[in-house]
Amino acid sequence: MSMKDKMEAEVVEAELVLPSYLSFKRVQMYEKYPKGQARGRHWKHLKQIIQAENYQNYPPDEPNYVNIESPPSIHPCKRICDITGFEAPYYDPRTNLRYANADVFKVIRSLPNEYVQRYLALRNAAIVLK
Amino acid sequence: MPFISKIQRQSDYTLFGSATPIVIDNGASYFRIGWASETEPRVVFRNIVQRPRHKTTGETVTIVGDHDPALMKYFDCTRSGPRSAFDSNVVYQFEIMEYILDFAFDRMGATGSEIDHPVLITECVCNPVQSRSKMGELLFETYGVPSIAFGVDAAFSYKYNQQQGVCDKDGLAMCPGFTTTHVIPFVDGEPIYKGCCRTNIGGFHVTDYLKQLLSLKYPYHMSRFTWEKVEDLKMEHCYIALDYASEARLFQKGAKEAEDKTRCWQLPWVPPPTEEPPSEEEIARKAAIREKQGQRLREMAEAKRSSRINELENELHGLEFLLKQLEQVEDSDIPSFLAETGYVSRQEIESARTKVMQSLRKAKGEPKNDQSETEKASPNANEKYSLINIPDDMLTPDQLVEKKKQLSLKSMSDGRQRLKQKRYEEEMERERKQQLEEERRLENPELYLEQLRARYKDLSERVDQRKRLKTNGGHSNGNNLSGGIGRGERLNAAQRERMRLLTTAAFDRGKGEDTFGAKDEDWHLYKLMSKDNDDDDEGPDEDDVELARISSRLQDLDPTFVPKSEMGSSQPAEAPRVRPFTKEDFQIVFGVERFRCPEILFNPNWIAVDQVGLDEMVGVSIRRLSCKDQGLEERLTSSVLVTGGSSLFPGIVERLEAGIRMIRPCGSPIKIVRALDPVMDAWRGAAAFASAPQFHTQTFSRMDYFEKGEDWLRNYELRYSL
Repeated sequence: MSMKDKMEAEVVEAELVLPSYLSFKRVQMYEKYPKGQARGRHWKHLKQIIQAENYQNYPPDEPNYVNIESPPSIHPCKRICDITGFEAPYYDPRTNLRYANADVFKVIRSLPNEYVQRYLALRNAAIVLK
Repeated sequence: MPFISKIQRQSDYTLFGSATPIVIDNGASYFRIGWASETEPRVVFRNIVQRPRHKTTGETVTIVGDHDPALMKYFDCTRSGPRSAFDSNVVYQFEIMEYILDFAFDRMGATGSEIDHPVLITECVCNPVQSRSKMGELLFETYGVPSIAFGVDAAFSYKYNQQQGVCDKDGLAMCPGFTTTHVIPFVDGEPIYKGCCRTNIGGFHVTDYLKQLLSLKYPYHMSRFTWEKVEDLKMEHCYIALDYASEARLFQKGAKEAEDKTRCWQLPWVPPPTEEPPSEEEIARKAAIREKQGQRLREMAEAKRSSRINELENELHGLEFLLKQLEQVEDSDIPSFLAETGYVSRQEIESARTKVMQSLRKAKGEPKNDQSETEKASPNANEKYSLINIPDDMLTPDQLVEKKKQLSLKSMSDGRQRLKQKRYEEEMERERKQQLEEERRLENPELYLEQLRARYKDLSERVDQRKRLKTNGGHSNGNNLSGGIGRGERLNAAQRERMRLLTTAAFDRGKGEDTFGAKDEDWHLYKLMSKDNDDDDEGPDEDDVELARISSRLQDLDPTFVPKSEMGSSQPAEAPRVRPFTKEDFQIVFGVERFRCPEILFNPNWIAVDQVGLDEMVGVSIRRLSCKDQGLEERLTSSVLVTGGSSLFPGIVERLEAGIRMIRPCGSPIKIVRALDPVMDAWRGAAAFASAPQFHTQTFSRMDYFEKGEDWLRNYELRYSL
């Protein structure tokens, strides 16, 4: 364990670093993923996993990861002020922010654009440049 | 009450026989592992992996779970943040999963060549078979596990609480977790996945929302809001309001109750050292130094001046001596005499003499005698302009020329005279005005000052406004200087006009051919353009002058008056920075945030998750079950168990009851209970399940897996009631 010798005593003491060799493993990490070898992405995103499941080939009433998702709400969305969280009867067409009263309106009009976009991003309404 | 990790290495691994199952609750936020026969997991840690670089050795190392942050200073974590094996609640990165399992088995004290214990591991509801089989492969191939069972954490929690008598065999398990929230109906003690529903929202989103809101509210303290800190804040302060709207209204009105509910986090703050005013001695010493320096400068200037006077006088003496000598020299000898001196003629010497005399006078600081000359000229003005009043025909041509000269001279001096007169009158007017103002001031000093201030404010606003208009063509959002770039930004008036001229020039004649410059008048365009620019800087106008006057007057009269500087007036954002920080600036106040953040569990569309919230999920779940059995539906709603980390929020039970009452028929029995320990019950339930004698009937081995294939694994389902 030459690597351990070089590390600080308290790091070794806390056994912070996962050892590279573990006796209870049949295949060690370094055997699976040899060092210095370029390897592509060896995992799939959740979307790809779901696609590969081919749920369309199975009866629709059989529960699966996709069809157990909840549907959208039937109730109208409660609108709250983006800044304060109060009920928001108003909406500013310039910034697209919802606001509760005149005081908040003053605040949103003085907000830099970056902050406006970050507030909008909270509810995924920000302008995304691609 | 933050969750606490347990990562001590266990020493009694060998004491457990190979028949004792290892139980793993593989949650998206926490990983828990322990022995089936026990009631507490042995090792608990955050389900994350970091791969930072060790600073001194440069080695990339693997660190699993959360550790003492003080130890992380030896590692360079800038290039790799904490990573999770989960996407939503599905394990998808098995390399990370392997690191986590390595660490977990290592801390369980595992020795020997493989993990020779059956493993019960939790997974999400309807886990995609790809994830399930990868997990199976990992456990079989890498760790040599003899057999595996997969179960759902929420179901284990429900079963555990059912055993403890908290809920019935028919009921609903509601599990708001870390990344997802599930509702699973139980009939006869078995989960019915057909009636299950999942909303992709959980504690992660609540923490993230709180983190974003706080860093938007306190941009100055952004770096304080680390994930761990915000998570702690969430668990300590957040609660669920019984009715969001009325709770928010309380805060909006600033009611006493709201004040009591507001929490405050005081960041460490050290008052800045107060600057002591310099002592008398210091001031005197500084003044003395300044005085000394001034004296030295004055002396230097004096010495320079006297040396120059000396020089000039010497030169003058030399020239006068030369002239005297010249008088004694005979006319015929003059050229040869002058050749030696370097001058050409007597006139040259004389002009040099007058020049030197003039400089000498200037150096000595005597007034020029131009003034006296003009004064001298005025008495004999009539004599000077003698020819003006004589008709032309009575004059000779020479006299005519002289008359013209005199005329122009006279008009010039008259003009000068008039200007002087005007200046004098203006001066008088100003003095008169000042006197008037002074009288008014003496009459009522307070009122006068007030009026002056009002006028100053008015004027400065007007000047500002015009300046803005000039630089920012009619754009009056008011935030043009505080980063409004890109929103409604316009060119200034001159630039716009130039643009217009250029475009019309380009389009007017544009019939496929650029003929600009063919005609001379084309070039007038540029004259027009430069004229526009001249308009802009025509110097300070009346308002500016008046503003300067009032400002200086106010400075004289009002000791508290501070004139708005050029920058100050146009950049109000600058002002707070000047103010020294106070204790209040280092307070993080939680008001509405306390219940706004967990509210997203009930209104996921606030963070753009277009799915039903917690309370409506019950309705969806019952609908999906479509049991058509009034009795069963009533039994379900009268045994609703909330479990999972996010069910720890105070007030969630009351809120759920109110919410479910809204969607259920009037008079339906509703009973909501929180799990005994919403965080740990899933593991406990799993441990209890694994220690049952029939547990082995629910597991499958490597052989089973390879014989029965993936399709069987897809349909694999645990029976929870043994």
